[in-house]
Parts: sequence; C-alpha cells; structure tokens
Amino acid sequence: MTPYSQLVFHAIDLGLLRCASFLAPEAQRAEWRLEWESELWHARRSNSTSGAVSWRTEREIANFCFGAFQDAACLRRLWWQNQARFVPLHGSAAQCIFCLSGILFVSYLISILSPGIRAERDFSSTQIRPGTILIQEEGANGDSVPTMAIDQVQIWKRGRQRYVDGFAFYRVARESATIGPHAGGTWQIAQASSNLFAVAGLTLHYMESNEEARSGMPRLILSERIWREKFGANPDIVGRVLLVGSRPARIAGIAPGDAWRLPGNSEAWLLRPDSEISPDGRGYVVAHLTRSGRSEMWGGIVNIASYDSRRSEHDFLGKSLEEQTPGPGNIYWFGVLLAFLALPAIASVSLAECSFSSHKPSWIRRAVRLGFLVMKVVLVMLITYFSSVDLAYWHSSVSSPSGVYVQLVTTFAIFLFGMRWALLDQRQRCPVCLRRVTNPAQVGLASRTFLAWSGTELICADGHTLLHIPGLPTSWFSTQRWLYLDTSWGFLFAGSGAG
Amino acid sequence: MATEAKLSHTAAMILQAIDAGLIYGFSIMEMTGLPSGTVYPAMRRLERDKLICSRWERQSIADTEQRPARKYYKLTATGTVALKASRNRYPLLERMIPYVEEKAL
Repeated sequence: MTPYSQLVFHAIDLGLLRCASFLAPEAQRAEWRLEWESELWHARRSNSTSGAVSWRTEREIANFCFGAFQDAACLRRLWWQNQARFVPLHGSAAQCIFCLSGILFVSYLISILSPGIRAERDFSSTQIRPGTILIQEEGANGDSVPTMAIDQVQIWKRGRQRYVDGFAFYRVARESATIGPHAGGTWQIAQASSNLFAVAGLTLHYMESNEEARSGMPRLILSERIWREKFGANPDIVGRVLLVGSRPARIAGIAPGDAWRLPGNSEAWLLRPDSEISPDGRGYVVAHLTRSGRSEMWGGIVNIASYDSRRSEHDFLGKSLEEQTPGPGNIYWFGVLLAFLALPAIASVSLAECSFSSHKPSWIRRAVRLGFLVMKVVLVMLITYFSSVDLAYWHSSVSSPSGVYVQLVTTFAIFLFGMRWALLDQRQRCPVCLRRVTNPAQVGLASRTFLAWSGTELICADGHTLLHIPGLPTSWFSTQRWLYLDTSWGFLFAGSGAG
Repeated sequence: MATEAKLSHTAAMILQAIDAGLIYGFSIMEMTGLPSGTVYPAMRRLERDKLICSRWERQSIADTEQRPARKYYKLTATGTVALKASRNRYPLLERMIPYVEEKAL
C-alpha cells in the first residue's frame, strides 16, 4: 500500500469521525472529537508498528471508527435522559401559559401577514365623518342598487336645506382609460359631483396644488389599488393628464386604501360639476346632515320626503354610513357578550368547589391562583380576537357582509368554549402548586339508594392535595372537594418536594 | 448494593482494565478484545454513574512525545467498591485482565 493511499484512508477515517460527531450533543461535540481523533492516532500507530500496513489493517481501523457512531449515539441518549429533568413542567401553570401564548403569537402573526386582514384594519380605522348618509328611494332592493337621478340632487341643491348641508351624486360605469401611447385599460369609473369626497369626509393622498385645481379640466381620483398596480405607487403622477373615454382628465389625488365604503366598486372617480354629468341613468346620492338633521335620525335611518320637477311627492331613506360598518372591534365585543350570556348553559361558572376541609391555603396562594385564572381568561380573549379576525377576513373582501357574520360566529364559539376550558382547567389544578391533578381512580360503589359514596379521586403529582369528585351529587356531597395532604404523606412522593 | 446489581460483565471488565492500569479507551479495547462500539459507550455510562472519572493529559507531555493528548480514566471510590463486589461475582476477572507494570496516572 502506498503512502498516498494511506493518506486517503486516514482522510476517510477522519471524515467518518466528523460525521459521527454530529450525533453527539453540541456542547460535548468538540471534546468528543478530540478524544476520538487522539484514539484514532493511537490505533493507527499501534497497527502500523509491525510495519504490515495492509487492507486488513485499514479495515480494522475503519471498524474502530464505525464504533464512534455508537458512542456518539450513546452520548446523545444520555443527554436526552438528562433533559428529562424538565418533565416536572408537564401539566404546570407555566406550561399552560406558554401554550396559550404560543397560540396567541401564531394567530397574531397571521393577522399581521395576511393582506386581507391588513385591508380590513385600514378600512375599519378610517374615520367616517359623523352625519354622512347614503340616500336611496324608499323600497329600494338593497343598498347596492342605484335608484337616484341627478335631477333630484339638483332640485335639492337649488332649494334651501335645513337638515342637510351637502349633497353629492355619483354613477359607476365601465370606461376606458388611456395612460400612455400603448397603455391603458377599462376601469370602473364613477362620474361624480366635484364635492363627493368633501361630503363623504374622505381625505385624499397626494392632492394636487390649488393652481392646478383651478384649471377647469375634470379631476380624476384614483383608488389606491389602481395607483399601485398601474402606476407603481408613484406619487409624481398627480397632475398628469389621462384620457377617460375620449375626454382628458387630470389626476388630482389618490383615495386612501379601502376607505371607500359606499356602494359601487369604483376604481377611479371623475369629479365634475353636476351640470356636466349626463342625466341618463341612475346613481347614488351621498349627503351630510346638519346637527338638526342628525337629531331626526332614528336607528341610523332618516326619512326624507321631497318633490320632483313635476311637483309629485317621493319618499327617500337616508342610511347612516357609520351604522353600516360596525368594525371588527364592535363585532368582537358583541360576540364576547353573547358568549358570556351563554356560558352558564354549558359550564358551571362557580369556583366555590375549592373548599378545604382541614387546611386553608394562604392568601398569597389564593391570589396567585386567581391571577392564573385571570391570565388564562385574558389570553383566551386575545386569542379569540385574533383568530376570529383571521378566519373572517382571510379571504373575504372588506365590503363583504359574510366577513361580519363569520367573525361574529367564530368569536362566539371560540370564546364560549375557551372560557369553558379555562374554568374546567382551573377546577382541576392543585390550589397549592397549580399543577393539574393526575392519576384518576374510581372509588366506592355506586348505590341505587344514593346512600353510598362513589366518585373519582385525583392526586397532585407533587403530593400537595387530593381531589374528590362525587359520582352522584348528593345533598351532603354535591360538589368536588380538595383534601390537603400533610407531611405524613411525604414518603409517597419522595423527591417531588411534597409537604 | 444497587450499583453491584447494575454492573454487567462488560462493565466489570472495563473497571478491572482501568484498575489494572489500562487507562485510555484504545488500550482497554486491546486488552478486553471488545469492539470500540461497546467499550466507549460503556465508559460513558460508567462515568455518568460516577464509577470512573476522566481527565485530559497535559498538552506539554503529549507535545514532548509528539502525539495528540489522550483522555485518561481512573476509578472513583464508588467504582473501587463496585469492582470489589464484581470480583466476587466474576472470580475470573483478575485472571482475564492482569495488572500491567506501569500505571501512568
């Protein structure tokens, strides 16, 4: 065998040791490798002293190195056995809080990362100007059906109004927009009164300067989605002139993302005087109520009677935009309230079962126990909020009513069963150490005459308490009872710190 | 007594080898004829049970002899007691692994 091949075999042996070292625990890996490399040196030297270096020798050294895998695996097993010291955490209050915090963290992370939920947050955080209403003909088949004519708005604007200090009309239609020589598309564009955004109380981003506003050209407001998709979120496009249909229009601003909560899914708004809006077709009317107008509102609705140009009377309904959008926070609290009301139907809300017959825990222990329950309830509430928002708005759009219903139902269900779990869990925790009692044992005999005692006994693994749960609640033993185990029981729990 | 009950024949051979002056893993292998995959894990368990303890040779000694430093093992007091009990249980132990002349610890 040549010296070159010996070097190759030595490298292979070192490679085997290196591979085996990954089985060893990280903290002991370096020392383990040093020992094995030293032993390999001695093994090689011992086999080569006779001068008979051969394939047989290399095979023996390789076998020696393969033993390193068993040694490293053994070290790993010992390390695991050492880790088993943390087993006492099982069933502890810390483990419970840790698990709940983990669930909360995951649900919070989802709510941050999901674009649908972010949009809902933007949407609900947009403040609606108080007193803004959407006016429709009485008997209209849903909010999304356009029922209003521009003529009616012009009549209202001409007259002196006591209850309303602003009207705006808009009508949505698909129109082509030309951005450049080879770019454009067909968008949902609302032909709208110049004061639409002022009446609705929506603030625009990147608004044009006053000089540009006075130029007389129709102004185009882009939705944030179109601005990002078609213009790459470039703020310098404000002031640029586009062709909408065959007419030029100047971009005057960007509507804040998802702030639009009026009917008609508009992607852009072409603002112009009412006289220039075509009288053909029906649209929507937005108005803003004065203080006296708001006092006439009942349940978010105000009735309006008016005459048209032929002096015939029409009835209209004004619906508050604030009432139409309760927001996730309001839905959540409503769901929580419903769940609180329903809770006694599925679980006993009393914690009075904690009655020690011979020993009463100190007030500190009782305060800790109460604090643990409060912490669980707070975590369940937070998990309920984030999970319900995740489930409701993961896919549905912000204007979809299905999101509201899904959030309400999930809030109710998660909070109801979460609270039930929190209460049942609390009743099965040792009042001294807050660990869950274990090892259930059936004791006694069930009696048909209800005179014998039967039930289940559970014991605290640390040897503090014994819990009796009656199988048949009787007048003298209706609820569970705790029995404090004094130091005389200590011999059964050697090493657990009982007492 | 609990230690005596746990000690296997392999563990007893390794304790005897260490007591006989074979104080590092490869020499124990050579003397007992056990493979490396048996000897080293058994030594880990003996060290965990505090029957043997280990220490690294001084680097200066290894440098003088132009070789890597070795990890040496020796019996603890508990290990000595356990070996004594094992010798009663395995009477041929001492004859299988006789004492070597130089005991370099």
